[in-house]
Amino acid sequence: MAKLDTRKEMFYTGWSIFQSRTNGCNARATGTGDTRWIPVTGSRILVPVSESGTLRNTVAYAVEQALEHARESGTGAVHFVYPVSERVTLEGPTAEFEQAHTLLDRVAVWAEEDLGDGAESVTVETGLVGTQEYLFSPGDYAEVLVEYARDNDLEIAVFDPGFNPIGTTPLLPPLEAEVREAGLEVSEAPVQRERRSSLLVQRGTVGQFLALFGVSFLFYLLLAGSVKPFELATGAITATVVAVALWGVSLTGPVDPVRTVRQFGRLLVYVPYLLWQIVIANLQVAYVVLHPDLPIDPEIVEFDAAVWSSLPVTTLANSITLTPGTLTVDVSRRHFTVHTLTVDSREDLFGGSLERAVRFVFYGLAAARIPSPVERRTEEDDPS
Amino acid sequence: MTPTEIGVLVLALGGVFFAVVAAVGLVRLPDLYTRAHSTSKSETLGAVLALAAVALAFGDDLSTVKAVLLLVFMFLTNPTAAHAIARAASEQGIEPWTTEDES
Repeated sequence: MAKLDTRKEMFYTGWSIFQSRTNGCNARATGTGDTRWIPVTGSRILVPVSESGTLRNTVAYAVEQALEHARESGTGAVHFVYPVSERVTLEGPTAEFEQAHTLLDRVAVWAEEDLGDGAESVTVETGLVGTQEYLFSPGDYAEVLVEYARDNDLEIAVFDPGFNPIGTTPLLPPLEAEVREAGLEVSEAPVQRERRSSLLVQRGTVGQFLALFGVSFLFYLLLAGSVKPFELATGAITATVVAVALWGVSLTGPVDPVRTVRQFGRLLVYVPYLLWQIVIANLQVAYVVLHPDLPIDPEIVEFDAAVWSSLPVTTLANSITLTPGTLTVDVSRRHFTVHTLTVDSREDLFGGSLERAVRFVFYGLAAARIPSPVERRTEEDDPS
Repeated sequence: MTPTEIGVLVLALGGVFFAVVAAVGLVRLPDLYTRAHSTSKSETLGAVLALAAVALAFGDDLSTVKAVLLLVFMFLTNPTAAHAIARAASEQGIEPWTTEDES
């Protein structure tokens, strides 16, 4: 398959450019310092992987970063490596080995899924490291990782916050420190687990304040239905109160007017589509409910949706619930648990038309081409 | 009858139809999850059609805008409430009814 082919396509340009640049200027510039570098500033990325709940998001993040920088520099690479703690013995592969291979296969599938159209510019590789020694301390892990990075000209290490191959001891902080000391740029993927500890109230920016004020003000005038001085005055007061009280709560990201307008425009396309879907599916359910035999076959199904971040996931979850025959029971990051009423509704769900539409709204037309859940599933069942 | 009146009538009748379907479903379906289907969706469409009839009846009035806003809120809140109920049930460990339970 494609991921095996990419192994041969190696680019050895990155490291030499990096070196000549640093040699040219002050020697101090080589040190990557103690600051945590977010976002990533290069296109050749090393990602150590182990079994963890946040791995999927880390893969998505690393690929996204590589794609972004590949757009500027032309090429990029993401190497996913699994540090094997046991040495490979003559007795043949151990259980850990098998596990590592399955995990890496899964990661490769994910990465390809996330790459989408960018597969030409970014190469993805997976591999095992540390097969020649036993790894115990963070220092051991750092050593094999840095060695691999040197061999493959990787400049940046992106860590999964859930990365912890040792199990009980917290490995990540010392490991990050070691890797950083060895001259690599280190960054941690901003995944859900990190965000969970953040406060509900954040410090708002002026842009957020103005956006919230404007929207509240317009909404007030819309409800008032006139622009008399009285309405303008009370509206301004009300909007100020709303904006002051809620500017740190309601908007979590910086306001990007162009993107917001674009998303809103696509949302206007989406709403009639959703309404139409709702009407069709409602008629189906009405048929089922009014049928004398009540031909239902309820079942709970689970799948990973190809949407990211909270707002798109919320939109998809609500759309699924609105479309009759499917009811979102639980969502954990991107993992949906859905109760389905009939066989038809299950097929529609896995057909992925809703998911596609939501991606279209939030990420544009290109993202709508990501395969549907059914296609993704067949891909995962066929890892060869 | 003017075309507007016919439109209002059709929408209102549609709303009533789906509201009735929701009620019938609530009685006939076997367990919490399936009932949540019926109440959250057929009900939403029923209410939405009724509100659309209201909007159409008011014509260009400001009330139309308000009816549309109400509609939007129904679309946002109804699935959220259904989701909350289903999730609570799921966390309580209530097993969904399947065709095997029928016997």
